[in-house]
Amino acid sequence: MSFWLNSLSVGIVLGTPLAYAALGELIAERAGVMNLGVEGMMLMGAVIGFIVTLGTHNAVAGFAAAIAAGAALASVHAVMTVGLRVNQIVMGLTLTILGAGLSAYIGTGYAGRRPGAGVSAIAIPVLSQIPLLGSVLFNHDVFVYAVPFVALGIWLLLYRSRFEQPGAADASGVPVFLIRYLAVIAGGGFAGLAGAYFSVVYTQTWAEGMTSGRGWIAIALVIFGTWDPIVVLLGALLFGFVDGLNFQLQSVGVPVSTHLLAMMPYVFTLIVLVFTWTRLRHRRVGMPEALGVPYEREAR
Amino acid sequence: MAFSIRLERRLNAPMAMRIAVPVAAVAGGLLAGGVVMALGGHDPIDAYGSIWEGSLGSSDGFQSTLIKACPLVLTGLAVATALRVGLWNIGGEGQLIVGATAATGVGLYAASLPGPLLLPAMILSGCAAGAVWAAIAAVPRALIGLNEIIVTLFMNYIAILLMDHLIFGPWGDPKAFGFAYSRPLPDAAVLPLLPGTYVHVGIVIALLVAVTAWWLMERTPWGFSVRVSGGNPRTAEYLGLRISRRMIIVLALSGAIAGLAGAIELTGVTNRLQDGISVNYGYTGVLIAFLARGRLLGVVLAAFLFATLVVGSYALQTTGVAQPIATIIQALIIVFLLAGDAALAFRLRITRTRPLLEPAQAGAG
Repeated sequence: MSFWLNSLSVGIVLGTPLAYAALGELIAERAGVMNLGVEGMMLMGAVIGFIVTLGTHNAVAGFAAAIAAGAALASVHAVMTVGLRVNQIVMGLTLTILGAGLSAYIGTGYAGRRPGAGVSAIAIPVLSQIPLLGSVLFNHDVFVYAVPFVALGIWLLLYRSRFEQPGAADASGVPVFLIRYLAVIAGGGFAGLAGAYFSVVYTQTWAEGMTSGRGWIAIALVIFGTWDPIVVLLGALLFGFVDGLNFQLQSVGVPVSTHLLAMMPYVFTLIVLVFTWTRLRHRRVGMPEALGVPYEREAR
Repeated sequence: MAFSIRLERRLNAPMAMRIAVPVAAVAGGLLAGGVVMALGGHDPIDAYGSIWEGSLGSSDGFQSTLIKACPLVLTGLAVATALRVGLWNIGGEGQLIVGATAATGVGLYAASLPGPLLLPAMILSGCAAGAVWAAIAAVPRALIGLNEIIVTLFMNYIAILLMDHLIFGPWGDPKAFGFAYSRPLPDAAVLPLLPGTYVHVGIVIALLVAVTAWWLMERTPWGFSVRVSGGNPRTAEYLGLRISRRMIIVLALSGAIAGLAGAIELTGVTNRLQDGISVNYGYTGVLIAFLARGRLLGVVLAAFLFATLVVGSYALQTTGVAQPIATIIQALIIVFLLAGDAALAFRLRITRTRPLLEPAQAGAG
């Protein structure tokens, strides 16, 4: 029993950064911009968040810097794809590689150190005393508690949103370019936060390439969650659970190689993607109409 | 007086600019990389001096550059080949690794094969493994349209874990003191060197693959049908071409090229399977294909440039500049290239907006 409760608890912790990154990507995609640079933005958030936390002994400053770092890299994506209408796929991939290189460069010499400050768990009075589930659900840090409200906020913001048809939106006075800029930059901020969550809260170390593809899992989650913030959040928690199961199985000494166990989140993501896509492809449920298409007034 | 500035699409870009943009992008990337180094407290001019000395500026450096160019030419070709059918192969890293892994398997378990057979068997199995790894992404793409970028990418992480499982487990070298090495391969599994150098023949193989891929894609009817399928699917359907079959074949071919890179790195450089057999070659190949604008022969040129930066950055490490600077400069070059291309596609049009009351001039604009 405690095995499953532990897995659930670890799953919530691991699902939280995935949820932030995926919700950030969702905002950008709903505004019509695909950002494949999430992995690079997470890595930048991870390294900057770690270094600033270490330097200031203050995790709040660390997270603020991480959000700024993710947003800064995302603003490059915004200027290039929204302003200059560069191919979104090429630009995103380049930024992932740039973020990986830049974070490795900046983080040289920080590997193996501890951040020296963190974000402590807050047990919610009464609720955390509920037998079994109380400690699983109500003994976490503030980022975990905030994520359902963030998802809900995004859902409210995007509900009946009009910027999926940029031409129509523009005609009715919606500032299409401004919204696209803001959406991409905000999405990058979320990715930066997610990265710092890994380095400052979860592993409490910096290592080159430490997010190991979780930025890409976040992108897959947006498809899996059919561009709906609530479904994306639930998906992130499910993936966090699968990710956490791997560590739990290792700790109870399952006689399977740790490397094979570590494949689980990737294999699981692939299988789920194939099933989701088979179901969705004809209906294109939820897929933003203008996704990936640069907006040009003249070309309307 | 009021001005309005807006972007306007150019109909066709002048030829000189099309050549000037990549050159300017490389210069811009190097310059920006210098700024990054300066911010880190290093003298960029000294640094570029070391990069030159460590790569093209010395015989040893030049030979190292040729060795490093081999996997980069191949991973760049893998990306550019897939682009011919309109697919993004971001899985070069994983395909390279399974290629090396399969070749290791043959080298360890079929070591009794006669010498002249062992090496080709290893290299072919590397190609086959790369092809299978890419096909895992190609089949769902062709059949249900699932985005191949994400699938090829995940297969990278799975490939690394598979290799780690083998070198930490069943293939591990008990004499490696816990390092992530497989047992060493037999002597017959070592790629020969070019006469008078310490450069293995892999670079020649890579150049032959480049020419073959170019011939296949640009000079054969089948290559043309692939390009039509990738560039204009509607026309391809109208012509009755089976796009999905071409997608699977081309992506498998692309994976085979990356797998070949793995088998060559194994037999030419490391001689055993080890962590870090690929130093992000797959990802660098993506940037190389971008810089070459997807052209197969341009890939060779771009790969040499990037190999120079990588080898030079190893020399830089002794001066205290961290090695990822090479990746940063490479990515910055692409950012500048993309910005330059955008500048080509559009032009800034600055017009003076006329006050409302001024009478319109005849024939204005």
